[in-house]
Amino acid sequence: MSENAAVSKAASPEGMKDQGLQMGQAHEFLILLPLKEGGAERMRAKAKTFGDAIKSIDHIATVHDFRYAIFDNDTRLLFASTYDGGFEQYIKDFSTLIPDQIDEFFGDSEGYPGVRNPEIWSYIAKYQLQSLVFYSAYPDVTVRQIWKGQRVLAAFENLLDQAQS
Amino acid sequence: MTNKNENPKAMQVAPALDLCDIQATVLRPRPTPYRGEYVGLRIDDARQGKTMLSRILPYVAPSDEWWVPSLPAWLGIAFTYEGLKALDLPQASLDSFPEEFKQGMAARASILNDVGVNAPENWERPFGTKDLHATLAIYSSDDRNLDAVLDRARYALLGLPGISVIYRLRFHELPDGRNPFGFRDGLHNPVVEGSGSKVYPGFGRPIKAGEFVLGYPDELGATATAPEPEELRKNGTFLAFRKLETHVAAFRTYLREQASSPEEELLLAAKMFGRWQSGAPLVLSPEHDDAELGADLSRNNAFGYADDTRALKCPFSAHIRRVNPRDALAGEFVAVDLHHFLRRGTNYGPPLPEGVLQDDGVDRGGVFLLIGTHLTQQFEFVQSQWITDGNFINSGTEQDPIIGNDQADKMFTIPKAPIRRRLHGLPQFVTLKGGEYCFMPGLQALRWIAELP
Repeated sequence: MSENAAVSKAASPEGMKDQGLQMGQAHEFLILLPLKEGGAERMRAKAKTFGDAIKSIDHIATVHDFRYAIFDNDTRLLFASTYDGGFEQYIKDFSTLIPDQIDEFFGDSEGYPGVRNPEIWSYIAKYQLQSLVFYSAYPDVTVRQIWKGQRVLAAFENLLDQAQS
Repeated sequence: MTNKNENPKAMQVAPALDLCDIQATVLRPRPTPYRGEYVGLRIDDARQGKTMLSRILPYVAPSDEWWVPSLPAWLGIAFTYEGLKALDLPQASLDSFPEEFKQGMAARASILNDVGVNAPENWERPFGTKDLHATLAIYSSDDRNLDAVLDRARYALLGLPGISVIYRLRFHELPDGRNPFGFRDGLHNPVVEGSGSKVYPGFGRPIKAGEFVLGYPDELGATATAPEPEELRKNGTFLAFRKLETHVAAFRTYLREQASSPEEELLLAAKMFGRWQSGAPLVLSPEHDDAELGADLSRNNAFGYADDTRALKCPFSAHIRRVNPRDALAGEFVAVDLHHFLRRGTNYGPPLPEGVLQDDGVDRGGVFLLIGTHLTQQFEFVQSQWITDGNFINSGTEQDPIIGNDQADKMFTIPKAPIRRRLHGLPQFVTLKGGEYCFMPGLQALRWIAELP
């Protein structure tokens, strides 16, 4: 692994040890949660309307990607994400701005205390799993920078098109 | 996205603030003109520490009567976590404090970007060591009264060999209320609901008192449950103490190099601060300074960024637009009202004479008390995100041009049509010389500590 390869982070703002790895300013998050009885079915039903939520996830503008899956005979949920550094600092904002959406998403997990409950930190710590390796092809570029780069490139291509006509 | 009173709990009628129990430093602006002194104490004997505290108590000013002339000057007192340990607070109380306070500011250096020249190993002693236990802030309007209160503080230490004065710093107002760079500052603070402070246009809606004083509901409708017990917590708060040395000659020299006329120097400097030297905001006077506007308290905060969304008047990266975004982040994913704190700034050192470009080696700068009940989401959030990062304003890794601490090529972008102007190689204009997290108890809590067995 090169020198700027994934390293473990310092304590998160709330003093809870964040176990995720980071490479450059890119961070990874991986959590394995136990599901309630019937939770898997409800998660599948909710996933069908996931498309409606995409706009509000875009709005956060610091999440590169995430995925989730159900495993272990419908008893557990895996959630994995890559996000921009600084995201941890905004967790209070999340729990203020979209608490119901977050609770709706994770509410089928056994013992989930709710995002407004201070117990949320120890709950996350209990189930978060540290990855062994984390790789990012663009560890120093944020979601916003990628979007901006796309806009600039499109404008540049457009300029070239006009110049040749 | 901002949380403008959307929270039903935040709509409840606010309880009245117990102004006579809250230290004046929390809710009241410094006198004008002001002079004063910070005094740092080490407490080697808990018993003597409590004796000292009970002697000083009569001079600690509450927020309701700080202007009462029976006191020639007023005094504030705050403790570091090491200080509360040195006073032998019950272990359960010590344990109940928030983690960041227990760790102290130096231990938070990586979160705060206090690295390189700003790193704790480069701080002045006793900052960042375990020696600084209590800080007194003494404010007065003249030297005679200041000396009178300092005499009383000295008297409070008589016969207490277990208490040592390990730090002293005089501070005073510079001409016209300017900072060492020549700019009027300290012009804006959030309005604390129920504090009775005068509200000028542009200060925004009142923010719930619990954001600034423990014992009242905060913006999320929650009332603090720590530190324990309630007698200790009630009407107290936390503060981040930061001593910032200003490199005025470097600032002037850089402006001289980048500008082709004295007028352009003033404009570039104003673009960095977001205000002209007089205090006139760029948004209201984008082309030139306006001394009358700068001096007019009813107008110099009456602005937002809604009609400057391209930042052609005030750059996205300008100091005041970063640390107090007002409505500039409307539509972004951030709850702006969770990130306010009260700023109590003072200047120290003589001003660098007008026109001097050569550094005279004299230490001059500002000491800031950044006050709020949630150090992590207030001071630490603003320091680590809005000052140290540029991503939230689509500016990559660009930092605050004045107080940023960039280890690479420090840039400053000035939006302009048709092509923006970007300055490179900004030197460090401000260096952090030391800092501490402190707990500033209410008056009754001070008595509670003094009377502990």
